[in-house]
Amino acid sequence: MTPSQRTGGILAAPAATYMLLFFVVPAILLFSYSFWISSGFRIVPDFVLTNYISAIRSPLFLRVTYNAIVIGLVTASVTLCLSIPVGYYLTYVARSKIIFYLILVTWFSSYLVRIYAWRTLLGTNGLLNAVLLQLGIVDTPVQAFLFSPFAVAITLTHIYLPFAILMVVSAMSEIKAELIEASRDLGTSALGAFFRVVAPNAAQGLIGAFMLTFILVAGDYVTPQMVGGSSGQTTGLLIADQFRKTGNWPLGAAQAFLMFLVSLVIYALVLALGRLTGLIPARRKTKPAREVA
Amino acid sequence: MNNGTSAEAPLIELSNGQKQFGLFQALTNINLAINEGEIVTLLGPSGCGKTTLMRIIAGFETLTSGTLKIDGKDVASLPPEKRPVNMVFQRYALFPHLDVFDNVAYGLKVKGVEKEERRRRVQAMLRTVQMESLSHRFIGELSGGQCQRVALARALVNGPRVLLLDEPLAALDLKIRQHMLGEMKRIQLETGATFVYVTHDQDEAMILSDRVVLIDHGQIVQVDRPQDMYFRPRSLFAAKFLGETNLFEGKLTVSGIGQLSLETQDGPFEVVSNDAAVSGNDAAVMSVRPEAMSFRQSNAQLDYAVDAEIADVIFSGSRSFFHLVSLGGQKFRVQVQNMPGAALPVAGDKVHVSWRKDSATVLPLSRISS
Ligand SMILES: Nc1ncnc2c1ncn2[C@@H]1O[C@H](COP(=O)(O)OP(=O)(O)OP(=O)(O)O)[C@@H](O)[C@H]1O
Ligand SMILES: [Mg+2]
Repeated sequence: MTPSQRTGGILAAPAATYMLLFFVVPAILLFSYSFWISSGFRIVPDFVLTNYISAIRSPLFLRVTYNAIVIGLVTASVTLCLSIPVGYYLTYVARSKIIFYLILVTWFSSYLVRIYAWRTLLGTNGLLNAVLLQLGIVDTPVQAFLFSPFAVAITLTHIYLPFAILMVVSAMSEIKAELIEASRDLGTSALGAFFRVVAPNAAQGLIGAFMLTFILVAGDYVTPQMVGGSSGQTTGLLIADQFRKTGNWPLGAAQAFLMFLVSLVIYALVLALGRLTGLIPARRKTKPAREVA
Repeated sequence: MNNGTSAEAPLIELSNGQKQFGLFQALTNINLAINEGEIVTLLGPSGCGKTTLMRIIAGFETLTSGTLKIDGKDVASLPPEKRPVNMVFQRYALFPHLDVFDNVAYGLKVKGVEKEERRRRVQAMLRTVQMESLSHRFIGELSGGQCQRVALARALVNGPRVLLLDEPLAALDLKIRQHMLGEMKRIQLETGATFVYVTHDQDEAMILSDRVVLIDHGQIVQVDRPQDMYFRPRSLFAAKFLGETNLFEGKLTVSGIGQLSLETQDGPFEVVSNDAAVSGNDAAVMSVRPEAMSFRQSNAQLDYAVDAEIADVIFSGSRSFFHLVSLGGQKFRVQVQNMPGAALPVAGDKVHVSWRKDSATVLPLSRISS
């Protein structure tokens, strides 16, 4: 072990210990629960696939998982598409940091308050309906805005957009404006420079923002409960119910791991799509140049 | 300024160019014409506006007022990607996600050059800059000099009419720098491209250029061939910026009809200035290069001379440097080419120093330049 490796090890130790105790160990416990059985109100150690099979066979689980995937993909895509121009603006165009701080400030408002705000906006007597009525586009309030997958997606987009912007900004700030100029100098438009230079170099951050949003949305169980109605339910809520209400931890654990698998598959698909379109460099980027003394 | 006097129209033409960043005046009254096939260097101290001027030509900045023509056409509304200009950036700006080959191929790919043709041209260019063997290395795995060569190749492969180079050698050590200077001159001859080269290194400027554009505080001070700029500086700034010089300060007086005399601590020097820059009653200065001075007997017709005492001698192989103090108290330096067996004066010797009248330039002391 070189001295620098040792120093690195010491510095990483607290975080590593924390992750081990509060993430790895519980995850292993949860994983083993998924093979146990729940009989009566007790959980009995076992090694069976019953929980996985009954999860997959359950039409409810399939329906909410489908919902979670669709809402997750839509929200993550919309969030990423909205955060990229904002991130680009903040990194390369804006002269002051004010807008950046304003975006951070939105986190000061509570998650629940924002959900209620959307309930108000989308409800029968809400702003959206009032505007549509005023404009004569509809003549009775539209019930379907609230308690729908649409309501869940729009609320979660609002909640996770600042996270995504932050990740996009941090990915882009690694890419010098000079590279964009070099690309334009060599004949691309500004948009071309984005696809050929910014996107490939920011790929990890952009995919990170997409996947983070997807996972947070697919696992969210508060927003679907409050604005989702029956058509907007997602797996997160179903899993939460196994632990809170039904007390069937093994089934909940199995469902959680199935969701984890779904996320992995989506991640793989996103990577494959990125490679296919050339937005992600096919070969691995090597380490940055050593500092020349 | 008498640039752009060639028969054909200049390739790049700036007229009355001004550039402001907010309240800061970065470039003032820029008039410059660059001809096809020329190597022109923009030379000046740090912060004088060289990069800004280059970025205006490339299209990354716009003039606050004035016009820029490329090939006779006003390019104000032309974005960088539409200009027949390629730039080598001060810090290379190579694409880290691509290897050497793909970096060089970038411009051709964008323009839709067919694959085989592209491969052929990229490889030929990599051969020119001697980077063939490293064509599959990523940028992070290259040395500074190798990056520089890739940056040059990436720009040149597009066959630009104008290549803008922003201190491309600044990061390299002396040896590679000299090698790359030679390479660049060779490539320029081969391709016939017009080079606009930014540097704050006067040696680089003099070695490389057909003409030097000297800039100070956002203004063009002088545009000349290197040898003229060196031996015929038109301002004190130019004299001091290029190479080393001795300055004899004094006051100009009228000593006859059309005759001026510079009164210094070491007596009067008759001025044979053909330059209208100086006139009677001006504070002025005579600039003489150390290598133009010698210890031989002076000829009153052709030479200026002072008597001085040698304070110090530095022997440096091919040359010797003498630090002297004149009888009038003026400190100056003389540089002499060493010959085997030649007897040179030593410290403490009283010597007679002379220099040809036409090797000296009398310049006004005020900073106002041509
Ligand atoms: N975008 C900008 N906003 C404000 N001032 C600027 C900007 N770009 C350049 N300047 C100023 O304009 C002046 C000229 O800058 P420029 O980069 O052209 O200098 P330079 O001659 O290239 O210097 P160096 O040799 O150090 O590279 C400097 O004083 C700089 O601070
Ligand atoms: Mg510069």
